[in-house]
Amino acid sequence: MRMSSNKSQFVAVASIAAELSAVMEVAKEISLAAANAKAIAFRAGEKAKGFQPITDFINELAKETIELVNNINEHALKLYRLTVKEHRMSEACKRFEKVAVSASSAPYAGSLTQSLQQARQRRTDCRRQFSLHVSELLAQLADVMHPARAARVIAANSRIEASQAGEYLQSLQAVAESVDHAAQIIHDKVHKCRSALTMISTGD
Amino acid sequence: MKMTKIYEGAYQWIMYGRDPYKPDNIIDTNQYVVRTDKRCLLIDPGGIELFAPMLAAVLHHAPVDEITDLFASHQDPDIISSLGLWDQALPHAKLHAAGLWEGFLRHFGCESIQYVPIPDNGGVINLGSVELQIVPAHYLHSSANFNIYDPQAKIFFSGDIGAALEAPGQPVFVENFDAHVEKMRFFHQRWMPSNQAKRAWIDRVRSLDIEILAPQHGRMFKGDDVKRFLDWFEALQVGIAV
Repeated sequence: MRMSSNKSQFVAVASIAAELSAVMEVAKEISLAAANAKAIAFRAGEKAKGFQPITDFINELAKETIELVNNINEHALKLYRLTVKEHRMSEACKRFEKVAVSASSAPYAGSLTQSLQQARQRRTDCRRQFSLHVSELLAQLADVMHPARAARVIAANSRIEASQAGEYLQSLQAVAESVDHAAQIIHDKVHKCRSALTMISTGD
Repeated sequence: MKMTKIYEGAYQWIMYGRDPYKPDNIIDTNQYVVRTDKRCLLIDPGGIELFAPMLAAVLHHAPVDEITDLFASHQDPDIISSLGLWDQALPHAKLHAAGLWEGFLRHFGCESIQYVPIPDNGGVINLGSVELQIVPAHYLHSSANFNIYDPQAKIFFSGDIGAALEAPGQPVFVENFDAHVEKMRFFHQRWMPSNQAKRAWIDRVRSLDIEILAPQHGRMFKGDDVKRFLDWFEALQVGIAV
């Protein structure tokens, strides 16, 4: 995996970090939907008996998604900071190399050699770490697709149970809709992030 | 980059500036170096765009491991935005800068360089064979602002005070003070916010024995022109934007 240090790299990684922050907000919506569902199911009593276990599923799913997304977000921010660090190292290398050329006749030109070597080494280290983090992040993003898929299945089941709930039908269907909607958004955003990350990691 | 030795004794003062390859749309700056036997101080080392030519020039006078001190008179990018690059180039160096600006200057990158905060009432930079005085010049123009005075060389680094905006390639010293005034007038009226701060600074500086007044932009003042500048600045009303 090659890492390019041009401007679009920065923007791409920052965009991914931003998308993933948005996923966190959506994951919290699932949690809220679970709380709403529990309250409605409690009020509906016997009429929403089949719905009650579903609320626990939704709640667990929300917790799992939030935890996964938290880890992903931390990783994404690390990646962003690495991008910035690599850019700084690359800039330093570029400018040190410029100095080496224009100061070739200076009595102390040779004293820059060590700094230049260290800057190059730090840049190489950054690139290596970046590749590692990208691989880990891709794996984590694959993991978060599972709860998102499960949420859609649960949403479908919720609609079925909601249809038995009499006057609570609309409220419970609204819950099912919000879970489905949130899961869809998570799926789409994560899919987008994975594509963008794969593109960065394969270089230009 | 042009290098002009402005003092030679047990140590040297060298002025760097007038870089012919400087991009047109960035302000021209003067950088100063005090070089002793084993130490080298960069005074207002310059912006990012100037890092490469500046380091290339300094390497004519000192190796990288003897560039031991940086001084930033205040926080402006033309003074110190190169900090992150110096941070990676210099194996052991200190940055002397206002304590007030520490959290801000660290945004430029300051992981290996040791930040030595200057308190509001100033301090000293001891380079072994010379001890430089750090003189407060607050609000001229920055909220925390310092100049440097060398009582041995009788050189006063005045930062933005005394600055002039001119076309590239001008002489390094003022030759005709009256003609030079018009190049300084707007800069001082617009950038210097406080007549009170100005008067306090002038009172402080008049008591010093100064042969060369060295600003960060434009030409230096030598001999009688130093007093002419102080008189002119004292009479000038500043802070014109409000």
